[in-house]
Amino acid sequence: MLKIMLFLNFFYFFYVFIAFAQPNNSPTINQSLRTPNVSANALFLYRNTTSGKFSNSIERNGLDIQETEIAFYSDVDPYSSLNVILSIAPEYEYDATTDTVIQDWIIEPEEAFALSNYFSGITFKLGKFKAEFGKHNLLHSHAYPFVDAPITNDQLLGGEGLNDVGASAAILLPFKSFYSELTVQYLRGEGENSEFSSKNSNDGISVMHWKNLMDLSDSFTMEIGGSYAEGNNSMNAKTKLIGGDLTFKYIPLSGGKVGSLTLAGEFIGRNQEQKNLTTSYDDENGKGFSIWAQYQFTERWSLLTRYESFEVKNSEALVNENALINDKTIKKSLAFNFNATEFSSFKFECDRLEGPPMNNGKRDENRIFLQANFTIGSHPVHSY
Amino acid sequence: MKSLLFFYSFVFLIYSNFLFAKINLVTTTTDLAAIVIAIGKNNVEVMSIAKGTQDPHQVSAKPSFMIKLRDAQLVIAQGLELEDAWIIPLIDGSRNPKIKKGTSGYLELGSLLNPIDVASTQVSRSNGDVHPNGNPHFQLDPIRLGQAAIIIGERLGQIDPNLKDFYQQNAKKFQEEMSVKWNEWKKRLVATGIKEIITYHKTLNYFCTSFGIICQLQLEPKPGIPPTISHSLELIKQIKDKKIHLVLIENYFDRDSAGKIKESIPDMRISPVPVSVGGEAEISDNFILIEKIVQLFEMKK
Repeated sequence: MLKIMLFLNFFYFFYVFIAFAQPNNSPTINQSLRTPNVSANALFLYRNTTSGKFSNSIERNGLDIQETEIAFYSDVDPYSSLNVILSIAPEYEYDATTDTVIQDWIIEPEEAFALSNYFSGITFKLGKFKAEFGKHNLLHSHAYPFVDAPITNDQLLGGEGLNDVGASAAILLPFKSFYSELTVQYLRGEGENSEFSSKNSNDGISVMHWKNLMDLSDSFTMEIGGSYAEGNNSMNAKTKLIGGDLTFKYIPLSGGKVGSLTLAGEFIGRNQEQKNLTTSYDDENGKGFSIWAQYQFTERWSLLTRYESFEVKNSEALVNENALINDKTIKKSLAFNFNATEFSSFKFECDRLEGPPMNNGKRDENRIFLQANFTIGSHPVHSY
Repeated sequence: MKSLLFFYSFVFLIYSNFLFAKINLVTTTTDLAAIVIAIGKNNVEVMSIAKGTQDPHQVSAKPSFMIKLRDAQLVIAQGLELEDAWIIPLIDGSRNPKIKKGTSGYLELGSLLNPIDVASTQVSRSNGDVHPNGNPHFQLDPIRLGQAAIIIGERLGQIDPNLKDFYQQNAKKFQEEMSVKWNEWKKRLVATGIKEIITYHKTLNYFCTSFGIICQLQLEPKPGIPPTISHSLELIKQIKDKKIHLVLIENYFDRDSAGKIKESIPDMRISPVPVSVGGEAEISDNFILIEKIVQLFEMKK
């Protein structure tokens, strides 16, 4: 019923849009009509981890290209703009017969969507995009505060996050004293998101997110959000996701960025019904949170720390082809970030994990990373 | 009778809301907001996104600004890529199509004011965070401020034709007053005998060009790159050769960034300088801002 209502709403809005939209005849200045804005980003990573030493590890120790992205964006016409972001990254697969890890290169659209703000108060989006679920899911790798995504996001939303083809409407709610945005999305349900990989092509994913940001003062803000997603999974049963996020941010009004402080936390819970043709099992229950802080102690240096906890129960491998490991993981991270300029930065990070046993039977893992981040082309956006 | 009175009062209230409605504007900087207030007086409601104490290159696209932009009829920006990294996502997030860049609801002044420091050769990011189409910091040139006021006055007149003459008269008055003050400031600056200064960034280049002062040397080796020891040593050599006696550091940069220079030349005058309206508590308009800078030149120590 929710799917039908969402589709009807989208068809109604697009009908009204096409029927009554009048083009804006003002010329666009300062933009080449032939060339879109182009930028590229490259992440280079040196990794040294306990698990990276094992012959079957697909996260190998040493130097690697973590990911590169090429982005094109421009106005299409007075009604819409187009964003295309291509990702180029290595993909590793373990071949048990030869006991080797094989590398391949993947080029894929990280996001490719059209955007329209033509109707006051609403942003429509159509294409492939990162779903508006929580805060971290929207980030591209080069914008991550740490080298990797939180474990909870990686395990419950997938390695690429909740990212699929679909349609979206984001409404700026008419509150005067604070920012409040409600987003509803419908995704195809056939992407890489294994938690929603229904075999029925008519099954999609409904996503909703409510974001609120308040200015506690000119330099201090609080953001609070809630997310929900629901869809069918590969077992012809339901998967539900809930999420909550809270962020406090202090940015001084004078003296540059020195003294800026961010405190953030995010929680995701997933409930996955599990069954086959004859038997129903207990629902798989996965939940976790991450809390992190970033302090800018000089104009170019910042210190970051993160604490994460993630646990899975009742995941049943007999029936669930995407079963997770029933265990608990705790992860602590400490990082230093150096912004040489707005276009290049370097990160040094140490992680300590206690989780499911590795090849050597041990539960503890130490990780060290050194990451270099370079951007060329159009000026990076100052996201908040 | 009572209900009729109530009805007419209600109609009058609604009518007067439209009749006396203020133009809702957002500017990127406090300097532009100050010009708007000087021209529009009580007929405009204006908010600046950047504060006078902030580096306009580094403003974050805080979502709460989108609320202000949602209701704005006009956005005025300095332009020349000064604000692109934050004003464009803010406008997109406001979902207000009337103020999108390229529409009549978005006014970018820099390119209309005969910008200086336009790149004459191909530039890349190896030159630092450059503005290839010109220096955007025109807010310290009284003559260009006057020209900006005329442009703003015309745009306000297009939005609110009933008060077109009012806005244009005020804009003309602003320009004339700036022209008169320019003459006074010029005489006072010549009297100081200061012919060349050093600044942190190229923020004072328009001020210097307008008043015939040389501002070729900056503490930052390239735009957006903090001062280095080697560059500071090179500057010290040039200071001694050219007999430069004044270093002005825009007050949102690190005041200790000229430390190496102060060590080598103890009697060098190094002073923070406000470069935007609101940059210090008492700087409430463009005239007071430029007066404050002129006074810094006049100070002996």
